[in-house]
Amino acid sequence: MKLKFSLISRRQFLNTLFGGWVVAFLSGSFYALLKFAFPTLGKEPDFVVLNAKDFLDIPFNSVKPFAWGGKLGFIFKRPDNKTVALKGVCTHMECNIAYKPEDKKFYCPCHKGWFDMDGKVLEGPPPKPLEFFELTQEGEKLIVAKKGIKVELPKA
Amino acid sequence: MSCQRLKNWIEDRYDLDGLRGFAKHKLIPVHRYEVLYYTGGLAMFLFIIQFITGMVLSFYYIPYFEQAHKSIIEIVTKLNMGWFFRSLHHWGAQLSIGVLFIHVFSTLLLKSYRKPRELLWITGFILLGISIFFGLSGYFLLWDERAFAAVRVATGGAGNLPVIGGFIKSFLRGGIDVTGDTLTRFYAFHVSVLPILTLILMGIHIALVQYHGMSVPISEEKNVRKHVPFFPNVLYKDFIIWLVALGVVVTLSILMPPEIGKKADTLAAPPENIKPEWYFLFLFQTLKLFPGDLMGLNGEMIAIVLISLGILFFFLIPFFDRRSARGEKSPVFTWIGIIYTAYFIVMTIIGFLT
Repeated sequence: MKLKFSLISRRQFLNTLFGGWVVAFLSGSFYALLKFAFPTLGKEPDFVVLNAKDFLDIPFNSVKPFAWGGKLGFIFKRPDNKTVALKGVCTHMECNIAYKPEDKKFYCPCHKGWFDMDGKVLEGPPPKPLEFFELTQEGEKLIVAKKGIKVELPKA
Repeated sequence: MSCQRLKNWIEDRYDLDGLRGFAKHKLIPVHRYEVLYYTGGLAMFLFIIQFITGMVLSFYYIPYFEQAHKSIIEIVTKLNMGWFFRSLHHWGAQLSIGVLFIHVFSTLLLKSYRKPRELLWITGFILLGISIFFGLSGYFLLWDERAFAAVRVATGGAGNLPVIGGFIKSFLRGGIDVTGDTLTRFYAFHVSVLPILTLILMGIHIALVQYHGMSVPISEEKNVRKHVPFFPNVLYKDFIIWLVALGVVVTLSILMPPEIGKKADTLAAPPENIKPEWYFLFLFQTLKLFPGDLMGLNGEMIAIVLISLGILFFFLIPFFDRRSARGEKSPVFTWIGIIYTAYFIVMTIIGFLT
């Protein structure tokens, strides 16, 4: 069937075609740029393996730092001789925390947050307690893992 | 080629009379608050100092996390006048941001943002945001303990925004954590992305000022008795102010060169009594006001959302203030302006003293 009048003019058709092409081209380019500019995100490790010798004979009431991925972790020998592992990062604004042996507390200097030995918030703005890890020893190796993660090391 | 021939050569090709006419007719109104007109030009002058000193510093700075800190120490200790140019860049930045705050708050209080100058306000606001980001990214390039903690807090804070927070945070950091990748990224922001945006926006901002002419506060509209020509009266005054500013920057640079802290260690706690740069103190103090837990909700997120809303309102103020857009007095917005200004000043002072 031939229409008497065209629903759109030739000009409109061409403008839409070219306009659509320009939009498609620009958004494709922009998307590619964004994809490039955004980093591929890594994630926090599920576990790390440390050398037991370096960490188990630290004095009571002290901490020793280790690298939990890109973040700070602490092996903490409590005054009651229990050894635990925790993430040394404040839950407020992600500053690294420090252990104050004289007060037996963890302290974040950025916004004056205080945590007790179990990671509970005592004072200041942190919204959540500190994150603790599971600590297991297998011979020479000390395995620090997120709570609830089962780690099986390959037998050497 | 003699001067006359050069002049003829140019005049054959370009319409200089048009420019002369524009220069002749650029008039500046005289009234009680005219001194505030000079803050914009002063900010521009300080930006020029930043561009020049920044260019020469980038000849020597190494934007790689293992060498960045050392390269700054070498600039300061081994290069001819290196200490001086780093110091100039530091103090130029402090003064630029100080002058920008005076510029923006005086615009706010005199309501120069009102119709038809809304776009001037918008471009100026974005320029202020860019300048603060300039400050943060430039500060991070030191790669010392304080800079490291500051960037963790600032990017982490942005991460608390609902929905888009995580996106912004990882974009700024170049990963999930603040690492060497963040340094490279901040260097790119500092020396390429932000300067180009600044030049474009500053061009638009200044062109808009030429287009609209100077704004006269509503209360002074009847009191303007005369106008003085920009060329040469006001320009000469501009030069005087710039010269004084240059003197201040140089004096501060020589007498109080900036420090550099210990090299950043991703596994060390930040130093005691750490504080951000002074223009973040009002945010820092605001964050301290909020407890970690507010009626079962995350206090930090509430704080960040409230701060963002406050800033958004500030940004859109020309569109809320309908009365001054009609040229009427608008006391409510005068009070809002005073509250914003007072909040900024008081919180900055409290942050400074505690």
